[in-house]
Amino acid sequence: MLPLKDRLKALFASVDGPRDEAQFETLALEAFAWQYERNSAYAAYCARRGTTPATVSHWTSIPVVPTAAFKETELVAGERASADAVFRTSGTTRGRGRRGVHVVPDVSLYHASLLPNFRAMVLPDGLRMAMLCLLPSPDAMPESSLAHMFGVVVHRLGARGSGFFASVQDGLDIPALDAALTACVRNEEPVCLLGTSLSFVHWLDALHAVQRTHRLPTGSRLVDTGGFKGKARTIAEEELRARYAHALGLDAAHCVNEYGMTEMCSQFYDAGLRERTLRGESGPAKKHVPPGARSRVVDPETLEPVRPGEIGLLQHFDLANLGSVLAIQTEDLGVQVGDGFRLLGRAPGATPRGCSIAMDALLSAAAERRS
Amino acid sequence: MSVLDGFHLPDLEPADVERWRTLDRDGVIVRTPILRPGVLSRMIAGLRAARAEALETRSAQEIAAVIDRTTELMLEPPTIGPVLDALPPVTGCSAPMARLVVEHMAEEWRRPALERLLDAELAGGRALDAFVERPGRRAPSLAVGPKLSFHLFSGNVPGVAVTSMVRALLVRSAVLGKTASGEPLLAPLFARTLARVDPAMARCIAVLYWPGGEDAMEKTALDEADVIIVYGSGETVRDIRRRAPDRSRIIEHGPRFSIGLVAREMLADPDTAGRVADAAATATALFDQQGCVSPHMIWVEGDPDAADRFARLLADALDRLSVTLPRGRIDAGSAAAVREIRTAAEFRAIGGEDVEVFPGPNAGTGWTVIREATAGFRPSPLFRTITVLPVERLEDAAPRIAPWGANLQTVAVAASRERVAGLAPGLARAGAMRVTDFERMPWPPADGHHDGSGALTELVRWVDLD
Repeated sequence: MLPLKDRLKALFASVDGPRDEAQFETLALEAFAWQYERNSAYAAYCARRGTTPATVSHWTSIPVVPTAAFKETELVAGERASADAVFRTSGTTRGRGRRGVHVVPDVSLYHASLLPNFRAMVLPDGLRMAMLCLLPSPDAMPESSLAHMFGVVVHRLGARGSGFFASVQDGLDIPALDAALTACVRNEEPVCLLGTSLSFVHWLDALHAVQRTHRLPTGSRLVDTGGFKGKARTIAEEELRARYAHALGLDAAHCVNEYGMTEMCSQFYDAGLRERTLRGESGPAKKHVPPGARSRVVDPETLEPVRPGEIGLLQHFDLANLGSVLAIQTEDLGVQVGDGFRLLGRAPGATPRGCSIAMDALLSAAAERRS
Repeated sequence: MSVLDGFHLPDLEPADVERWRTLDRDGVIVRTPILRPGVLSRMIAGLRAARAEALETRSAQEIAAVIDRTTELMLEPPTIGPVLDALPPVTGCSAPMARLVVEHMAEEWRRPALERLLDAELAGGRALDAFVERPGRRAPSLAVGPKLSFHLFSGNVPGVAVTSMVRALLVRSAVLGKTASGEPLLAPLFARTLARVDPAMARCIAVLYWPGGEDAMEKTALDEADVIIVYGSGETVRDIRRRAPDRSRIIEHGPRFSIGLVAREMLADPDTAGRVADAAATATALFDQQGCVSPHMIWVEGDPDAADRFARLLADALDRLSVTLPRGRIDAGSAAAVREIRTAAEFRAIGGEDVEVFPGPNAGTGWTVIREATAGFRPSPLFRTITVLPVERLEDAAPRIAPWGANLQTVAVAASRERVAGLAPGLARAGAMRVTDFERMPWPPADGHHDGSGALTELVRWVDLD
């Protein structure tokens, strides 16, 4: 039999096939045993609950770790010293200022999950296009998992003209972004924009201030991610979609929202673009769960699954997290939709988190320095 | 399915109602009217007129007698029953909690408590009628209450809204109350019951709900009121301060927290230690820790072992209370916050730190005791989540609390009488509003100071005749 990592990579690549429940089950239990053996803090956490690989017969019984744990300890299944990457959350938490740390011992497994999923969800038509990121490069933000992810996408999937249009010092480079888009429009080459929701808001505000709009070439699209400050997520999303249509000429189907977190190697994307490309219509709004992950909506008090259609906290089981902890309890509210879910945003009163907050602070600070 | 009125509006005409707002919680529907523009102003004029007739003409003692009779009637099963049934689904508290809290709160609305309060602050009420001599003052003084007080209630502790209304009535103020969506029931019930006892006096009260910050309604109320009394979060209080007219008097009951101290000598005898832990657990469990008098942390004098022993006793007591006084509903964000604080402590323990987590039964967040070895003050996510930590000498606790003193309410001290007397001045200077024991912690006496001021004197204006 192939080593565990190779079988996981094969599972992650099976984006076009049917969901293989038996295969997921087998690999999840193996991955749990792997982590139990190598991640001593997590093993101690399991032991305190009387759980060992011998007592777990289904992936749903694997002990979940709240994301808060990543702030207290380094949850590594493997060699910390030789880890490929160490990502940190933006650390805007209830004033405590502690940042979550996600150590990734082997980024090849991370990339093996990231790339097929991105292709399937953002590029289901197989087009190759310039990837323009409204974020500093991964070299400038080595601790940002989002910058890392965009870096991999630019490097592996981006056409000529791809790049990063922001810096840590000065925030968004609007003139350079404008020039890159103008070139794409002139050559009628579709383009993919990537950024946090808040970085897009900053950019759209700047475009609005000078009454400028773009008509992006057919096939263009964007990926936005992260939360909104002080607004109900659904309203904020709708408003932002309307602004994308007005300022960039992108219809809702070509705006793909990504939901990811520093503590997880897999991502969840809106299913709409893929559905529309493959089946002609976008279908109900939902996040697609990739083959290497499963998500549940659980009761906040009991952590047991809620009835279908009820709102609860999202719980993710992500096999791409082999190097840390695969079972994650979030503070995000969601509702199950088919084999995916709808993200309703952070549970009110819980810790705000998100790369977009850091990005927003960064951009605001840069704007202040300029003025 | 039952429909309850979450309002009391004298002179409400069908034409005044634009439409009805309903709050549906587990089959209990609370309805409140959305008033047409201009109606609130008319009602405020009505409140002022009713006040001149029904309050101006009566002594505080007479008003107290009416309030007492109203409370008596209100507590009769046919009256209080439907509201007691509705409180758990509407407020989220458990049924035994609703009953216990209403029973205790109602003591404050009975004649003995009202008389003690009048005696303590307004010369038995005579100070409202005539210039009276006051101890230590050469000139006699007369207390003048506001004509109209606007109360913005919060929903954390059932019944506080009624206490606030009762105190305003005692100083002859008409009352405009804005209920919180979290507890829209007891204030209207009191006003409706008052209408049965004394219809004229009930016309001095209007109680209504609208979403906080709704501009037109709130602006009218803020502009018209002589005194504004606001209960709520720091954000709410700041918002009201910003929007109220400059001339307004604002009485703020903002966010506060409480703590406990346990002296070494209380742990020597197991029975005494058990009694202290029981009382501390009850103080933690009451109001599901939503009260400003609910403890967030308890310092135990001695080494970490002493703190650990006390934490275990506290955990046992909280476990027993989870049966006799069950916890109510918890929102997703708070449940996540409780898990976060537990997880943090648990992983620090796994990492070798001297921390112990006692996490209630099963996966639930029912109650949590975290025993630390060293820590500063840390606010609790509430819902019966408490931290216990050692302190070498109780005298060392006050300076550690002082940085958060601006928001400190009660400090409960379990210690000998002499030691409490010795500790109290330091705690007072560190910010405490009240020093008491764990038994009395949840129930501040009606005639005590409220957040540092007299409960009635903070409402009135003193006029000297010199």
